[in-house]
Amino acid sequence: MEMGWRWDFTYEILPQMAIATLNTILAAGVGYVIALVVGLFFLLAQRTPSKIFNWVNRELVEFIRSTPLLIQLFFVYFVLPQFGITLSAWMCGMITIGLHFGTYMSEVYRGALEGVSKTQWEACRALNFSTIYTYRRIVLPQAFPIAIPGMGNYLVGIFKDTPLLSTIGVAELFHAATAVGGYNYRYLEPYTLVGVIFLTLSIPAAMWVRKLERDVNISQGKIKK
Amino acid sequence: MSKIFKSLTVLLVLLFSISTVSAKTLTERLADGHKLRLGFGTAVPWAYAGDGGEALGFVNMIALTVLEEMGITEHETKVFEWSGLIPGLNADRADMITGGMYILKSRCENMDFSDPIGVFGDAMLVPKGNPKNINNYADVISTGAKLVTGTGFNTVEAAKKYGVPDSQMLLVEGEVGILAAMKAGRADVAVQTFFGAKEHEKKTNGKFEVTDPKLMPKETLNVVGIGFRKGDDKFREAFNAALAKVMANPATMLKRAGEYGYDKAQLPPPDMSTAWACSTK
Amino acid sequence: MTYFEFLNEHGITLLLGTVTTVKVLVCSMILYVIISMIFGLMRLSKNPVIQGTATVYIEFFRGTSLLVQLFWAYYVLPFFGISLEAFTAGVVALGLNFGAYGAEIVRAGILAVPKGQWEAAHALNFTPAKRIKRIIIPQIFPIILPPAANLTVELLKATALVALVTVVDLTFEAKQINSITWLSAQCFGTALLIYYIMARFALVPFLRWLEVLAARKVGKEKA
Repeated sequence: MEMGWRWDFTYEILPQMAIATLNTILAAGVGYVIALVVGLFFLLAQRTPSKIFNWVNRELVEFIRSTPLLIQLFFVYFVLPQFGITLSAWMCGMITIGLHFGTYMSEVYRGALEGVSKTQWEACRALNFSTIYTYRRIVLPQAFPIAIPGMGNYLVGIFKDTPLLSTIGVAELFHAATAVGGYNYRYLEPYTLVGVIFLTLSIPAAMWVRKLERDVNISQGKIKK
Repeated sequence: MSKIFKSLTVLLVLLFSISTVSAKTLTERLADGHKLRLGFGTAVPWAYAGDGGEALGFVNMIALTVLEEMGITEHETKVFEWSGLIPGLNADRADMITGGMYILKSRCENMDFSDPIGVFGDAMLVPKGNPKNINNYADVISTGAKLVTGTGFNTVEAAKKYGVPDSQMLLVEGEVGILAAMKAGRADVAVQTFFGAKEHEKKTNGKFEVTDPKLMPKETLNVVGIGFRKGDDKFREAFNAALAKVMANPATMLKRAGEYGYDKAQLPPPDMSTAWACSTK
Repeated sequence: MTYFEFLNEHGITLLLGTVTTVKVLVCSMILYVIISMIFGLMRLSKNPVIQGTATVYIEFFRGTSLLVQLFWAYYVLPFFGISLEAFTAGVVALGLNFGAYGAEIVRAGILAVPKGQWEAAHALNFTPAKRIKRIIIPQIFPIILPPAANLTVELLKATALVALVTVVDLTFEAKQINSITWLSAQCFGTALLIYYIMARFALVPFLRWLEVLAARKVGKEKA
């Protein structure tokens, strides 16, 4: 096996890797959307009138947050079929990522809501606004900017965790690299390409998130322009 | 000051654990007292690890019998993801790989094989009753069925060769991934080694059955060898010599490997040599 | 078999794997803390070369996936002459990756130390090195420990990935048991429980204790 870098091999596998990258982006996107929704659910489920329900939810969120995504993936992938629920690897991956990152999202939402000064809530009560109106017109518009940096960071985070999906057979970028590497018995070019592709996608994304964070801080008056 | 001290510590920690790629051959390493590293992927009943990490499976049994004949009684086992076996061998992660590697031309380009330890065929795994009547690659293509197999398996190359389109292929990790995909209904049919398929039939108590390997294309009959790095020729030749001795009196080997299903029918015929396999498969 | 029978038969294997997980965690924790300190400081240097190197390092390791870095360290590095044992490759990849995130935390921590401290040290004629070592660094601990605690729990979860490069840890053993017995719910469920117990009842309390210790040392004790 040649030790040197082979450009011909690189060009040969580039098309496959490019297509797989699209799959990765799709996986990250879908997973993220699910996480956003699940996060909302977890958040609201901790604020119900029933104390027990809130507690159960809290524990569940802690449990999912404190355990490895990899094992959660294996669990969903292997266990669900044993109970008759057969889903494609893709669906399993999306559900697991949605649940796992949903817990993070709920924390981001919680932090954002708590970041809205208490006086806002009190003023709304004094003015007799309904709960829905309070949330919709007063609280959420203020909470949202606070949540943005966290939400942005986790988008990048989900993107970088998509390679874990390859362990349950989802045909994303890392899976393609392993398949190509396994087929040609050469890992040097495929794995390096994967790294390069990730860098090219996530560095601009991270920079954009940082810019968002700056803008939020400026609009909140925390730092000067 | 403390910055420099800290960076030095990191450097030392790293250097301490770095061992440059061995320019020594396997024979020299063993003479130095290093243990032989036996690598395999989890593929019941070919090769897998027991609860204590010990090497089980018939390929491992044959390999260990030969090693004992060579006077090597100690070894380390390492379990790899299947697709990482050959790269692992070349990255100096293991000295010898079992797992049930078919001797294929593409593999011979990247590593060296011992003389054959047996001849085996592929078969397909289908739901009980074979509802779609799939017995070989042509059937897969004509029924449009979803075919699952493992990354790095010989069957990936074979499927491509016989024209199965990519859209019908599902690649998963190893034997475990294959059975999981079948059980969950993510694929209609799996293609793997006959032994692997038989094992899955047994494990699921007949929920899945093995097709007749004779209905697979004749060329899928393959010989299996133990894998070595290119350059470890001296060790490989000694291994082959010991293997020949064991094959001449196969009673012990057959008993040990027989526990896992290997039997006389698998003994390699003299006309299927490694050189032949490397050039034709 | 019942769950108890399962635990009886496979419990020890899983626990042995857990021991390896703890080893990986401790080693990579030490490495990432050291790297965070070094690169956090480097990032604040006025020297463009030092600062640039730190920035490149941080962006690189934060911008790529840990799994990719791990596989690269295990399968590709040997071709560049660096052949690390699986355990070491895992620890190094984890340490380097989390060190990059930690460096940012350290940097934020240092920037959060009140300007007055720097000025006072300067007025008292401390050399820059002594100023960093004796005045600034001790004060960053109460600030960086909460985010560092989060990061360390992430590290514990990330150790699961080393199972994919042949390190025989808890995740590896769970996978093995699954591949032989197909008792997926039991083995993966137990693994999840063990990680949870480690995170919630061992790691987090330990980190909380560190926070209290740091606060006390700096005189910021909560009354």
